[in-house]
Amino acid sequence: MTRAPQTLSGFFLVLAVASAGFAARHAAATWQPAPASAAAQPQVTFNRDIAPMVFRNCAPCHHPGEAGPFPLLTYSDVKSHGRQIAFVTSKHIMPPWLPDRGELKFADELRLSEEEISTMQTWVDQGEIEGNPSDLPPQPAFTAGWQLGKPDVIIRAEKPYLLPASGSDSYWNFVFRTPVHRSRWLKAIEIRPGDKRLVHHANVLVDREESGRRLEKEPGAGFGGMELIIESEAFDPDSHFLFWKPGSPPYVEPDGMALRLDKNTDLVLNTHFQSSGKPELIQPTLGLYFTDKPATMHPMLLQLDNDRKLDIPPGEKNFLVSDDFTLPVDASVLAIYPHAHYLGKDLLALATLPDGTKKTLIHIGSWDLNWQAVYRYQEPVDLPAGTTISMRFTYDNSADNIRNPNQPPKRVLAGNRASDEMAHLWLQVLPRESADATLDPRLQIQEALSLHHIQNDPEDFEAHYNLAALLQLKGEMSGAVLQFSEAVRIRPEDSTANNALGAVLLASGRLDGAIVHLNTALKGRPDYFDAHYNLGNALAAQGDFPGALLHFRAAVRLNPQDAMAEANLGSALAETGNLKEARLHFERALQIDPKNELARENLEQLNRDSHDHPN
Amino acid sequence: MGRRRYSFGVVRLLLVVIVAAWSASLDAASCAAQKTAFDLAGNPVDPLKTAAGKVVVMVFVRTDCPVSNRYAPVIQRLSAAHAGKVMFWLVYPSKTESAEVIRKHERAYGYKLPALRDPQHVLVKESQVQITPEVAVFDAGQHLIYHGRIDDLYEDIGRARSAATTHELEDAIAAALGGKSLAADATHGVGCYISDLE
Repeated sequence: MTRAPQTLSGFFLVLAVASAGFAARHAAATWQPAPASAAAQPQVTFNRDIAPMVFRNCAPCHHPGEAGPFPLLTYSDVKSHGRQIAFVTSKHIMPPWLPDRGELKFADELRLSEEEISTMQTWVDQGEIEGNPSDLPPQPAFTAGWQLGKPDVIIRAEKPYLLPASGSDSYWNFVFRTPVHRSRWLKAIEIRPGDKRLVHHANVLVDREESGRRLEKEPGAGFGGMELIIESEAFDPDSHFLFWKPGSPPYVEPDGMALRLDKNTDLVLNTHFQSSGKPELIQPTLGLYFTDKPATMHPMLLQLDNDRKLDIPPGEKNFLVSDDFTLPVDASVLAIYPHAHYLGKDLLALATLPDGTKKTLIHIGSWDLNWQAVYRYQEPVDLPAGTTISMRFTYDNSADNIRNPNQPPKRVLAGNRASDEMAHLWLQVLPRESADATLDPRLQIQEALSLHHIQNDPEDFEAHYNLAALLQLKGEMSGAVLQFSEAVRIRPEDSTANNALGAVLLASGRLDGAIVHLNTALKGRPDYFDAHYNLGNALAAQGDFPGALLHFRAAVRLNPQDAMAEANLGSALAETGNLKEARLHFERALQIDPKNELARENLEQLNRDSHDHPN
Repeated sequence: MGRRRYSFGVVRLLLVVIVAAWSASLDAASCAAQKTAFDLAGNPVDPLKTAAGKVVVMVFVRTDCPVSNRYAPVIQRLSAAHAGKVMFWLVYPSKTESAEVIRKHERAYGYKLPALRDPQHVLVKESQVQITPEVAVFDAGQHLIYHGRIDDLYEDIGRARSAATTHELEDAIAAALGGKSLAADATHGVGCYISDLE
C-alpha cells in the first residue's frame, strides 16, 4: 500500500512524430533543387518546385483545423506569405525542428535542405511564378477528425479552460477520468488539445493514484502549473512518452509495448498555451485506442538531472549543468526528451561506451522551449552495460537572452515555475532481459538511478522515496525504513511519505512508530484512503479495535469498491462484537472480489462464532 | 527605416499624379476615381482628413497574421486610454479580405476601432510601413512622426519576450500630443510582410 511519487518524467511518452507517413507518400515528388548560383538561375515555379516542398513540410500543420495560423495549400496561399516563408525558412525558424544534424537519425526529422531554402528565396526573387499547371502535384489529402479512425473511447475534459487574450505563456492541467471498468491495454492515445493554434505542446501523464484530482479546486476544474509530480505504484514505471506537438500524428505503440490502463486511472493532460489576442475557451479531448495484445516488452524512462547545481547568477551567459549516469545493464535507447525552461541555451546528450566510443544522442544548439519535443530514434540506439550517458546543458541568464523571464535578470534556481529553471534529460530505454530471470533489469536501473540521484543531491526526496519503495519490494525492510525516514526528514509534513514509512514500520512490527506517521499522513490529507487503511491495521494490531473501526469505516467511505477495506471493516466490527454488521461487510467484500480470502475465512469464522453463541 | 518628416501635401500631390495614370483602368463602378482607402461600407476614406486637428494612429494588421492578432489587446487598451485625443484606425492592407471577413475579425479580437481596407496600399505607402503589425503616428499637423513597431515584445518570429521592455507606439503618441519630436530611429515590426499582399 505504499506509493512512489515520480516526477513528470516517469510518465509521458512520445507522440512526437511529425509526418513520416506523409513524407513517404511524396518521396517520389518531382521537385528538383535549383542550382544555388545566382548568375544563370533557372526559373523556379510554384507548381514544379515550391508546391512539393510546401506540401511535404508545411501543409501538415498549415491546413484548416491544424496548428498553422494560415493554410499553405494553394498558389495564392503560398504567394500571400511568400517573403515570409523565404525569411522564416532561411533563419530555420520554420519548419520547427530543434536538433542539429548528427550521426543518429530521428524518426520524424522535419527540416529543409539548404538547397530547398535557397530555391524558396529564388522563387520569391523571381516574382513568385506559378508555372505550368501540369507540374502541380495533387494537393495532400489530410484526414479530418480522428487521425487513427474512431477511437474506442473518447473522453472530453469536464470543464474548459479560459485562456486570456494576452499575457505570458499559460500552463494548464486537465484531469480526465477514464471510463474503464477493468484493466485494458492502450496502443495509442490521440490527443486533441482544442484549438491547435494555441497549444505549443501537451503531455499525457498516467495518474494511477488520483494525484491530479487532489490539486483541483473542484472536480473536473483542472489546475494550473507547468510541471507536476504524479504518484505511482512502485516500480511499474510507465514507460511511454505521450506527447503532442503541432503537426505530429498520434503515435501507435508497437505490438508488445502497450500501456496498461487500470480501472480508476486518470490521465492528466499537461498543456502549454500561448495567448492569441482574444479570449479562448479550451476543452481538449482524448481518444483511446485499445489492443488485446498485452505488454511483453517493458521500456522505462530514465531521468538525468542535476537540479541542485542549478543556481544561475544574474548576467551569467554560459552556465553549465551536467550529469553523468552509467548504465548497469545493456539497454537500447528508443527516444529522448531534453527539457529546460526559458534560460536554456545549448542542450547536449552524449553516450560514452565502455570502449571509449562517443555518440551524440542529441544536440540542440539553440534551445527553444516553445518547440520542445520528444525525439524518437529511427533505429534503437544499443548501449552496452557500462555506457555513461552525459547531460551537458548550458543556460543564459543575461539580459541578452530575450526570453529571460526576469528583466533585469536575477538569480535563478531549479523549480517548477516558468520563472525557475530545469535541467532534465529523459530517455526511454528498453533494457535487455537478463539471463537470470530473477533480476528485473528495470529494477537494477531504478536502483542505480536512485542511488545516483541521492549522490547528486542527498536532499532528493523522490530519490529516497523511490529507493525505499524498491528496497521494500525486494523485502529489504530495514533499508526501506531508513530511506523512507530520509524522505520524511526532508519533507516532514508529506502525507505520501509518512504513509509509506508508517506502512513499512507496520510491516516490520514497529507499531508505535507506524501510528505516529500514519496520523501525520492523515493530518495533511484527511481523505487519504491508504493511510486510513494502514492506520486501521496498525490500531487493530495493537488491539485498539474501536480505533481501527473508525479508520476502516473512513477507508470504505473513500473507496467503496475496495474488497480488502470492506473485509477489514468486517473484522473490526466482529472484534467489537457487532457480528451482524460484520457479516454484511464480509459479504460485500466477497461481492466485490469473490476470491477475497480474508473475507471468506472471516465469514467462516463468523458462522462458527454465531453457531457457538447465537444472538 | 529612419524617421522622416514629410511635408504631407507633397506626398498627396505625388499620389494624385500616379493615380491619374491608373484611373483609366479602374472599374467605373469603383468607389473612387483615384487611389484611396475604403471604410467597411465601401466608401472612400482619408483618415487624416477625417480626423483633422487630431493625432492619428494607423495600425496595420491582417486577419491571418498571428503576431498582429496577439497585439489586439494592446491596441485596444492604448486606443481606449487616448480616446478623444487620438484617432486610431485599423488598416487592413489585404486586396482580398472582404468587409465581412474584417468585421468578423474585429468582433473576434474585441476591436472597437474603425477599420479601413487599403487594397491599393495608399496608406501603406503614406505611412511607410512594411510589416503587420506596424503603426504610423501622425501629429495634429498631419506629419508622419513615427512608423514602425509597437514595442519590442518580439525580437523575431517565434522569439518573444515575456513582456515588452520598450514601448515605441506609446512614446510616439506622447510625443505627438506634446508636440515633441522623437529622437530614435524607428525599428521595423516583427510579423508578416505587407509586400506579400501585392
